[in-house]
Amino acid sequence: MGTGTGEVMVETWPHLVFIELLAMLICTVAIGAFSLVVEAPLESIANPGYTPPIAKAPWYFVGLQELLVWFDPWIAGVIVPGVIILGLMAVPYLDREPDHVGLWSPRRRPVAWSIFIFGLALWFGLIAVGTWDRGPHWAWYWPWESWDVEKPPVATTTDLPPWVGIPAVLGYVAGGIALPAVIRPGFRRRLGWPRYLLVTALLLGMLAVPLKIAICLGLDVHYVLVTPWFNL
Amino acid sequence: MASDADARMDRREFGARALRAGWWTLAATGAAATWATVRFFVPRATYEPPARFVAGRPADYAVGEVSVTHLAAQQVWIVRDEQGIYALVAQCTHLGCRPNWLAEEQRFKCPCHGSNFDRSGKVIAGPAPKPLRRAAISLLRDGRIRVDRSEQADLAEALHRPGFLLTAEAIAQAGA
Amino acid sequence: MGFRQGHVWRSIFRVGLPSDRRGRLRVVLANFFLHLHPTKVPRSGIRLTYTFCLGGLSAFLFVLLTVTGVFLMFYYVPDTGRAYADMKDIGYVVPFGRVMRAAHRWAAHGMVVTVILHMTRVFLTGSYKPPREFNWVVGVTLLVLTLLLSFTGYLLPWDQLAYWAITVGTNMAAAAPVVGHEGPFGHPAGARVDSDLRYLLLGGTTVGQNALLRFYVLHCVALPLAAVVLMGVHFWRVRKDGGISRPL
Repeated sequence: MGTGTGEVMVETWPHLVFIELLAMLICTVAIGAFSLVVEAPLESIANPGYTPPIAKAPWYFVGLQELLVWFDPWIAGVIVPGVIILGLMAVPYLDREPDHVGLWSPRRRPVAWSIFIFGLALWFGLIAVGTWDRGPHWAWYWPWESWDVEKPPVATTTDLPPWVGIPAVLGYVAGGIALPAVIRPGFRRRLGWPRYLLVTALLLGMLAVPLKIAICLGLDVHYVLVTPWFNL
Repeated sequence: MASDADARMDRREFGARALRAGWWTLAATGAAATWATVRFFVPRATYEPPARFVAGRPADYAVGEVSVTHLAAQQVWIVRDEQGIYALVAQCTHLGCRPNWLAEEQRFKCPCHGSNFDRSGKVIAGPAPKPLRRAAISLLRDGRIRVDRSEQADLAEALHRPGFLLTAEAIAQAGA
Repeated sequence: MGFRQGHVWRSIFRVGLPSDRRGRLRVVLANFFLHLHPTKVPRSGIRLTYTFCLGGLSAFLFVLLTVTGVFLMFYYVPDTGRAYADMKDIGYVVPFGRVMRAAHRWAAHGMVVTVILHMTRVFLTGSYKPPREFNWVVGVTLLVLTLLLSFTGYLLPWDQLAYWAITVGTNMAAAAPVVGHEGPFGHPAGARVDSDLRYLLLGGTTVGQNALLRFYVLHCVALPLAAVVLMGVHFWRVRKDGGISRPL
């Protein structure tokens, strides 16, 4: 079984089996004890005639729900989840550096770690906002504010005119693709064009989320670019 | 001799063709079966209320009112203002939640992602890309209102296309 | 001498508890449940602070969910007129029903957590790199299945939260391009409110009886089956792709 790497091998029984048994026991006890103390939530019976002012998705989808506030339905509902899933699936085909397997070492793989932790933080940040900062009718409530008070109407938002929107979107995409290649030509050469384009496209997509939110909030913008088929 | 070889070639050629035809038949059958399976899950009939319904008489609605009488069963608000009566489809154009009418604020507010609409259905704030849609509305000969949810128009279309607003004149005429 | 030397006992447990090295290897090979493992594993690969047992815990939570879920099925009927009342019965009439439902709910939340953390662990330790690329893809699919299982289970209590969450969730299907009646190019492609992807998911134009039944079947049969098959592939590939990852 030795793979010639000088790896110390131990018998599965008892070394691994023991850990697994312990983990299963702790898990069962934890779930059981928690379930004795905390009831599963159940609201009033489904009523198609009345939308409760607070209609939140389960926590793992609240991030997506918060994301949907800032984007066109099919961008947020179809494109964003699709790109996240396909992007995740593509990870091993985009990062093919064979070294540093099996190590918890941020210093050896700083880029990969930063990207993943940024994405994870973005997702959980959106979940936190959706869970604690959104009240009735998805209005912004600080955690110390009462949800019993209906918030005053939010500001009216406007779409950017096309002569601003089109250059802004094109500039962002072109600049975002060109920038890493200019700063780090070695990075581009190591990846090759197809993989480089895929990587930058995915990163630009991820960065576009906080950027779009900042533009919407800071400038009271509705959509940056409006087309008959979709809005950005 | 030569004819023998030809015959063998023909047989081989025939076999190859038959095999190819077989594969195509199999592929076509597979495609048909896939289509049939998908189709199986799209029911021909549902037991939902009919999209065309009678919504009382114009007198049932006060000017300035956003009525929720037909909200639960039909998902429309009947709105009456100075111009007349129209039926707003109670479905947010963002992701199809049901907004609530808040009379104090004179706004429709969607709980799901916070879109706001005014009484005419125009987007005031939030992510909704288009105004609320309107359902076709007309007066029956006996003076009752008929709403047809299966025929819908967005705001711009509804304002100039007939059949999406019961004008005050039409109501007055019917009443007379 | 004793019962454990008797014919019946030996017919069930072919190998006794190991007393030497050879026995330790044999016990893993001879046991159906243990033979998922290799007989020997690298010490660094099973260090608790390396894996935190996250993959194993996800699988174990799936088992817990299957058991509690099957128990709940004895008292639940996916009928819009009954479902909510059944939830109340499970909470107030069925002995320990409330605990059973809570366990199912919290284990489901737990599984989402452990699956996300497991993926994070695999990413940060670079364990998706060759030769394990494809198993990462299988893992992402399992993450999606976990979320879909949670989402379909969410409708079953038939309460306000369930109803509106599913309304929003399925309306995304209506916004999908080409196959959704409100999506771009949907109208020219022939997608209508009663013939598009959302109609296919719900079995109607609104969340109703057909939708409840569809989500019930997906939640209790179709998705768990898919998850079991993919989990089998996932575990098998762990071993075929060089065993548990470790520093190379």
